[in-house]
Amino acid sequence: MAKATIRILRYNPEGDAAAPAHQDFAIDVEPTDRVLDALNHIKWYVDGTLTFRRSCAHGICGSDAMRINGVNRLACKVLMRDVGSRVTVEPLMGFRVIKDLVVDMDAFFAQYRSVLPYLINDSRPPERERLQSPEDRERFDDTTKCILCAACTTSCPSYWANEEFVGPAAIVNAHRFIFDSRDSAPGERLEILNNREGVWRCRTIFNCSEACPREIKVTKAIGEVKRAILYRQST
Amino acid sequence: MLHGDLDGLEDLVVAEYQTHEHDVLVIGAGGAGLRAAIAAAAEGVSVGVVSKSLLGKAHTVMAEGGMAAAMANVDDRDDWRVHFADTMRGGQYLNSWRMAELHAREAPDAVRDLEAWGALFDRTPDGRILQRNFGGHKYPRLAHVGDRTGLEMIRTLQDKGTHSGIHFHMECTVLALLKDGERVAGAFGYDRERGRFRLLRARAVVLATGGIGRAYEITSNSWEYTGDGHALAYQAGAALQDMEFVQFHPTGMVWPPSVRGILVTEGVRGEGGTLVNSEGRRFMFDDIPENYRAHTAASPEEGWRYTQGDKNARRPPELLTRDHVARCIVREVREGRGSPHGGVYLDIAWIREKLPNAAEHIRKKLPSMYHQFKQLADIDITKEAMEVGPTTHYIMGGIRVDGDSQMSTVPGLFAAGECAAGLHGANRLGGNSLSDLVVFGKRAGEYAARFAREHGAATVDTDSVDAAARQALEPFERNGSGEGPYQVQHTLQEMMQELVGIVRREEEIVRALSCIGELRARAERVAVPGNREYNPGWHTALDLPNLLTVSEAIARSALERRESRGGHFRDDYPEKDPAYGSFNLILRKGPDGEMSITRESIPEMPPELKQIIEENK
Repeated sequence: MAKATIRILRYNPEGDAAAPAHQDFAIDVEPTDRVLDALNHIKWYVDGTLTFRRSCAHGICGSDAMRINGVNRLACKVLMRDVGSRVTVEPLMGFRVIKDLVVDMDAFFAQYRSVLPYLINDSRPPERERLQSPEDRERFDDTTKCILCAACTTSCPSYWANEEFVGPAAIVNAHRFIFDSRDSAPGERLEILNNREGVWRCRTIFNCSEACPREIKVTKAIGEVKRAILYRQST
Repeated sequence: MLHGDLDGLEDLVVAEYQTHEHDVLVIGAGGAGLRAAIAAAAEGVSVGVVSKSLLGKAHTVMAEGGMAAAMANVDDRDDWRVHFADTMRGGQYLNSWRMAELHAREAPDAVRDLEAWGALFDRTPDGRILQRNFGGHKYPRLAHVGDRTGLEMIRTLQDKGTHSGIHFHMECTVLALLKDGERVAGAFGYDRERGRFRLLRARAVVLATGGIGRAYEITSNSWEYTGDGHALAYQAGAALQDMEFVQFHPTGMVWPPSVRGILVTEGVRGEGGTLVNSEGRRFMFDDIPENYRAHTAASPEEGWRYTQGDKNARRPPELLTRDHVARCIVREVREGRGSPHGGVYLDIAWIREKLPNAAEHIRKKLPSMYHQFKQLADIDITKEAMEVGPTTHYIMGGIRVDGDSQMSTVPGLFAAGECAAGLHGANRLGGNSLSDLVVFGKRAGEYAARFAREHGAATVDTDSVDAAARQALEPFERNGSGEGPYQVQHTLQEMMQELVGIVRREEEIVRALSCIGELRARAERVAVPGNREYNPGWHTALDLPNLLTVSEAIARSALERRESRGGHFRDDYPEKDPAYGSFNLILRKGPDGEMSITRESIPEMPPELKQIIEENK
């Protein structure tokens, strides 16, 4: 056991809601505890009102993205020994804070829905499955790993500056259909992403790629979409 | 004075709640709930979906291995009959044979539906959906995407659902089902963000709330799994069945302590991973059940060939059913042959003796496992063995339903997925859960839509709604005078793990029942500080009655079944007793409010199904 201080940016919307403020919690942790375990410890034994989202607790549902020492991470995938004995935990930037570490994801999901994130193919499927070669399938493998945690979008300076920007996560989810050999509407999505709040707001800063807990090459995927738009316009 | 003060009083005094009306209300937004909602919407009725968490975060997302369906893409000897026989054998013949038949017949089309909606699958060289080996399945049968099949399934259904005109109530918890006489009339709950009550009127309700893993200390399940659907149905008068059958997955992480219980996919063993004790012995070869001997490899060499796709080889004993593998691990640990942290070793690194590019192969086939151990345990699974032990994973028991329609014993109330019983009998085969979700989710949605069309609007009894609202707010009124909800929850989890876990005996179960009584009294006195806006303590306080109901159901059934079968192992009755093979244990809320237990005979299987089982012995 070692001592650690967890500094949490807290906000309570009720009554005369005060501005968000940091609060320190000194607790005992194991070096192998995750930041999520530290937050649970505080909630269970110190302050039962501490609020954060979590579901699966092993990095696949994408509920517990938050800013840990200034960097977007999943709390269930960061070990205490890797963040030091003083850890600052804050909600994702760029979204309205509902309470403590819980942010309003409505705008994020709306942007995601705006890129038509579903297969479009009006031809009748064959009696068995549609065929897809392993190479065609590999083409968009990386972007299907997305867990919609919003770590990329909320690490993007272009998004901070302009919340109308569709954001990296939505582009990643468009990418998987644009490059899916079974989809018949890539043009429609490219048109959506070619508008003024689409891919051209991306300044290739790479924050998104660094923030992605799934190690998706987000900036690369955005670049591929940009090139697909240019290629389409030139043909 | 209520703590939520004006908000709360306003709700109660004028008895007005934010009200929604749907033809079909689906409670739960995992694989089964979303599939039910899509099916109901396709029937042209209005559909609402309630989920405790955000859309797309449900426990289904964690499924790794794949979904079982006899598509015969990899081995053309497979067909639904073999899948049916495998499922029945795995379930020790306590399954609803009708559900096992429908599931085996319809799973291939259910996979193809997902594919048609854009789901990604790994492919065979000629472009068909690839299938992999899994425990208890005779042929490679699991359609999959690496080890993230559940994520792909939930995303596909979520995307399909959001443009099917379905109304989603995200981060909303249901407190009670509402009835109009015998039939269901909707549900009553609250939104977690604001803490405001919601009245959800419906002509038919589908429960798809998943499992009960959070009643145990060591579990692979996410926080949502508090037995809500089981408890809601039970309180509404529906019957539960087979609640003694809890699946302890043999391979959960055991170290470090913070991640104890997190799942290590069966896919590791499917790719050739071996289970080894501290003496370096592959102990699974020492205990092969008689009814599986003919299907099991005679040597490690034959087992390896099986994992590499040799159709003439039989599977290694590591791929025996989960109940058996879990018990063998417990035996090794109890008899002093365990690993340093109380598990055994799961070794995939050894395949470097067989494959030149083993490390790369492992990272490609099992990427999530590679990262999970690297990040959380500082173990490189391409070089070292993992330490694993059993973790509470799944409940075979649940709401008793009609095999065809998925309707419970309450008219208009349907159930699908893990919260429903029948398909898996005494033990579930890996891969049969994801297919269960889509096969029976679809059926539940279709039959619920039909029920809604054939029945008029139901009337909601406002007194029972007000009573539920008052009861839900009680923890605020006790602020300062009672203990917190987390302590009660933790005590329950430790107690269930200790007394009604993987190895059970009568005196321990009896003790568990008396503990549950005491915990119920404590739960009724818990106090919660703060107010109704997104208050985790309040949410936990409202989960407790459900956790206690399912814990009692498990304990009562476990006490009654004086034999060992499938997921239920009694140290005091270690053998299977044929007399217990002909009935299911049924639980209902008695007229006195107490839980009553009865035995109901399993209907006679039609001769053509019997013959299939004979032919596949």
